[in-house]
Amino acid sequence: MPTIDRLTRRNLLQIGAPLLGLGLADFLRLEARSAEAGRSHSNKSLIVFWTDGGISQQDSYDVKPDAPVEYRGMYESIKTNVPGVVLSERLALQAKVMDRLSIVRSVHHENGIHAPSAHWMQTGYFGPTLARNAAQKPSMGSVIARSIGSRQPPMPAYVTIPKSEAFGYQGAVYLGKSYNPFEVGADPNGKDFKVPNLSPPDGLTAKSVDARRTLLNTFDTLRRDIDDSGVMEGLDTFKKQALEMVAGDRMRAAFDLSAEDDKLRDQYGRHRYGQSALLARRLVEAGARCVNINTGNWDHHNDIEKGLDEHLPPLDRAIAALVEDLTARGMLNDVIIYCAGEFGRTPRMNGHAGRDHWSDCFSVLLAGGGIQGGRIVGASEKWGGGVQERLVTPLDLLATIYHILGVPLDTHYEDVSGRPTSIVGGGLPIQELL
Amino acid sequence: MTNFHRIVWQLLIVLIAGMFSSQLELLAADVRFGTDIVPILTKLGCNGGGCHGKATGQNGFKLSLLGFEPDQDYESLVAEGRGRRLSQAAPDRSLLLLKATSSVPHGGGRRLDQSSDDYHLLRDWIAQGSPAPRSDDPQLVRIELSPRNQVLATNETLQLKATAFFSNGTSRDVTKQAVYQSNELGIAAVEIDGLVKTGTQPGLVAVMARFGEQIATFHAAVPFVTDPAKRAVIEEQLRGIGFQPVSPSSQNDGRQDDRQDASPTNTHLLNQWRKLAVVPSATADDATFLRRASIDICGTLPTSGEITEYLADSRLDKKSRLIDRLLDRPEYASYFALKWSDILQNRGAGYSTGKQRAGTTLFAGWIRDSLATNKPYDQFVSELLTASGSQYENPPALWYRTVRKSSEYVESVAQAFLGVRIQCAQCHHHPTERWSQSDYFSLAANFARVGRKGGFADAEVPTDEIIFLKDRSAVLHPRTGERLQPRPLGGSEFLLGPDDDPRVSLARWMTSRDNPFFARTMANRVWAHFLGRGLVHPIDDARSTNPPSNPELLDALAQDFATSGFNVKHLIRSITLSHAYGLESAPHAGNTGDTQTFSRFYPRRLSAEVLLDGFSQVLEVPTVFAGVRAGTRAIDLPDENVAAHFLDVFGRPARMSACECERVDAPALTQALELVNSAEIQRKLTEKSGYSQRLAESDKSHADIANEVFVRVLARKPRADELKAAADYLALEPDRAEACRSLLWSLLVTNEFLFNH
Repeated sequence: MPTIDRLTRRNLLQIGAPLLGLGLADFLRLEARSAEAGRSHSNKSLIVFWTDGGISQQDSYDVKPDAPVEYRGMYESIKTNVPGVVLSERLALQAKVMDRLSIVRSVHHENGIHAPSAHWMQTGYFGPTLARNAAQKPSMGSVIARSIGSRQPPMPAYVTIPKSEAFGYQGAVYLGKSYNPFEVGADPNGKDFKVPNLSPPDGLTAKSVDARRTLLNTFDTLRRDIDDSGVMEGLDTFKKQALEMVAGDRMRAAFDLSAEDDKLRDQYGRHRYGQSALLARRLVEAGARCVNINTGNWDHHNDIEKGLDEHLPPLDRAIAALVEDLTARGMLNDVIIYCAGEFGRTPRMNGHAGRDHWSDCFSVLLAGGGIQGGRIVGASEKWGGGVQERLVTPLDLLATIYHILGVPLDTHYEDVSGRPTSIVGGGLPIQELL
Repeated sequence: MTNFHRIVWQLLIVLIAGMFSSQLELLAADVRFGTDIVPILTKLGCNGGGCHGKATGQNGFKLSLLGFEPDQDYESLVAEGRGRRLSQAAPDRSLLLLKATSSVPHGGGRRLDQSSDDYHLLRDWIAQGSPAPRSDDPQLVRIELSPRNQVLATNETLQLKATAFFSNGTSRDVTKQAVYQSNELGIAAVEIDGLVKTGTQPGLVAVMARFGEQIATFHAAVPFVTDPAKRAVIEEQLRGIGFQPVSPSSQNDGRQDDRQDASPTNTHLLNQWRKLAVVPSATADDATFLRRASIDICGTLPTSGEITEYLADSRLDKKSRLIDRLLDRPEYASYFALKWSDILQNRGAGYSTGKQRAGTTLFAGWIRDSLATNKPYDQFVSELLTASGSQYENPPALWYRTVRKSSEYVESVAQAFLGVRIQCAQCHHHPTERWSQSDYFSLAANFARVGRKGGFADAEVPTDEIIFLKDRSAVLHPRTGERLQPRPLGGSEFLLGPDDDPRVSLARWMTSRDNPFFARTMANRVWAHFLGRGLVHPIDDARSTNPPSNPELLDALAQDFATSGFNVKHLIRSITLSHAYGLESAPHAGNTGDTQTFSRFYPRRLSAEVLLDGFSQVLEVPTVFAGVRAGTRAIDLPDENVAAHFLDVFGRPARMSACECERVDAPALTQALELVNSAEIQRKLTEKSGYSQRLAESDKSHADIANEVFVRVLARKPRADELKAAADYLALEPDRAEACRSLLWSLLVTNEFLFNH
């Protein structure tokens, strides 16, 4: 039977264990919805490179060297360290680690508008068609946050860099705002990179924070048993945690990129993508579960060469450096790397030297977390266009990721109307990658 | 045909007939698809929403959700499988049975045992040639559970019996075939065969049974105390609460005494406490009540002056005077307008220009005015539902900007005004209610003639459309294609002339005094606002399978509300003056664990806007919101599209649905970080003209400061130990300004401040 996860406040009480008797760590785990019996938890995490706007598959991961130039595009293709697999010349660094990367070349859905398509890819379901309508389903990061939570509290379960996409399709919707991403809120490559509310505001000294903590402990004496809902208990925990974060170093340390060796920072690249990838690694290392890096915009309707020349090399460097770094640290099997956007781009160039929206068949990258390297799943037609073999849906991609992370695929969450909604619908993990 | 052939044929016929007759002897009476087979599929979970019942089916085999469309299911099983799923020649080799018993790999696992009655029934039906449902098959009319009500002790069991009644006058025991579900698992669980098992938690519980498309509900009360001697003591204590009529005394101008002891509300509360043997908590002190009522009615903390004045008031009707005063304040209208703006989805997101924003301001203003003038609730809702024209002349027409589609009309109206969640019935029969797709789309038909012209600022964003009545429209049943006429929920078609706006008929039906939903939904909504939980909970999910915790109380409130002419302030008055609203939040031995009977006040966190305004009020530094008049309070913002990180992390809703549940109070780390560490709170503490700085610059003594700050923040004087701790700290910290800031901050972040209790 499907797991109906309705751990509402009421159910929280019904678990039977009085919250008062639980220790801090216990409560955190409960809050993270990860204390449910019988669920095994992997030690794995996820880093997403979200290519907002839609990256051109034929200029990156699914090149067509033998097609006429209006299909082939402007780039040459190059060999990789996997025999028979070629990539765009703009992905020269990933070509060297191709044996640890896999590409799905047959992703398909049926919408060509940014917001609903992004919603489709991030949540698995078709989304609202007018920009003014907000997201309707929870994003994969929020599902992960709610289902298995942070790997190590107090690190947040779900983080977006620098912040979430505006339409809300990276949010929690009916899962509850606690499962919205923690937004870093600043460019990690910025000169004075600092996370809001993590460091004390001007004028608040460490001594004051200590004094306030002591005073709060003295005065915060309202009887806790007046509240059965778990809200008071939760706030207590989070207040303590927030004060520890501000007074302590753990969380700030995770966000402190200056602790990294300069050479490694250079290897990731001194740009937003590179430093975001490095930050993501630090965060998952410290215990975050899902870090989503927003890149782009890749919406290259005009002069695609200029756009890709600007965006592809830094993305290439960031991904390749991350793979190398994770390998060196022995973490590659514990961290999934996923690079995807809302759709790909038209196989044939348009009259403005650009490519338009294309969701019939496009590519995503998957690596790490135990995913087989050097695999190509599915294929597009000869010159691009439709799926030639092995159609993969957005739900299949989510199912693959959830499966690896240990999120039970039969999980259902109740939407605002109380309707149990599956996290993967009919999606199935891509066996060829496992 | 040759003789030879004829003989062969005859032989064959004899043989076949012989086979059948011998087999028929072994079979049960005729097995019927609709009333025998489908319930088995439901019981086994085959047609559940997670399996073959979902819209896309499972692995190519699709059933209707919970078996509400037997004809479709018959098609799937018999015709679609091209004989693969059922094999009359070898019934045991039918894929249906092989899968269900997991004899061949089955994603759903083993659901059925070969030796079970269900297996034999399925097998017999296949062997009989899997007869189709026939129009003269007896129809299922209703099911009954026995017993229907029972008082149970904790850790007790009770076997329910389910009986199905058919159109041909027959009935049979379907206990094993029915599906059961408890609405409060902590109080009682129910096993697959209808065995109810109470747990350790006392309270009220309903167990639903479903067989076919029919449902029935069993109600149990599990008292807190069952021992007769102890119950007698509790009876005595309850008598001591003093629920006797008190004659008006001369000193309070003939007004009713505050306790209103014999009011129907109090009587029904007391009856329930008696039934469950619960002893309510003590009455809250005056300061607590003042803070509570100020927050709940006006979304505003009481000032120090108000506290002093109220504590000094010795009149017997001071509570009712307080309630009247609060209801007359503009903050009452502002705070409840915020609530109604959420429910009516007065949404600003996506409307970025000043011209577009004007709409939400107008609509919010109309709501606020309606509340301030205490417009009768029936009139308020009628004006909204039947709104036409431009928002500039008729602001409630703006509701039709947010609510635009069939599904949005139906769901908003059902949830906001009828207290019913009918979403399920858009795609399939409601699984726990009587609502069908016809009900859903007939309700939608009332809005089919809503027309819109003009008013688009750009291609996607409508701004000031004109709402008008179109000449014609049609709503078709999505499955049958039948044209559906406007009809109220659960009623018959409206009689409409060509020029009649169906919305007018709908509003008239809705607001009639004997409408079964309208007054109850509002009474329940207001009760939940003040008491922290609806009598029907969640407030917009009224179903026979989700009964009110105190039906008599809800009936009485609803009837009184309707009789008063839908007077909202009257309703608020009777709820806030009830015994339950005046109780302490602290439980004692006699009511620990009670979450249903209101035997104590259930605390809740201040809502986002009230909390932020509270900080501003205490520290006398208003929040600066972009794009609105300086000094605007959070409860007065025109819509939700005014940037404020604080409001978002504390659960301000995006106004995407008519459900109050969209506003959440779930705790989060980001909330704590906002309190502990945000620049906004630090600014309010350090602002030169603010309260904290002025306090530091005053020559008040440490003890005076401590006393003043406690009353200001927590609406009470400090206890001796608190006074000493505060004064000691002030003496110790050399920076007086920082000392005042830290003291204020530490009180503002206590649960005592963050919660209404």
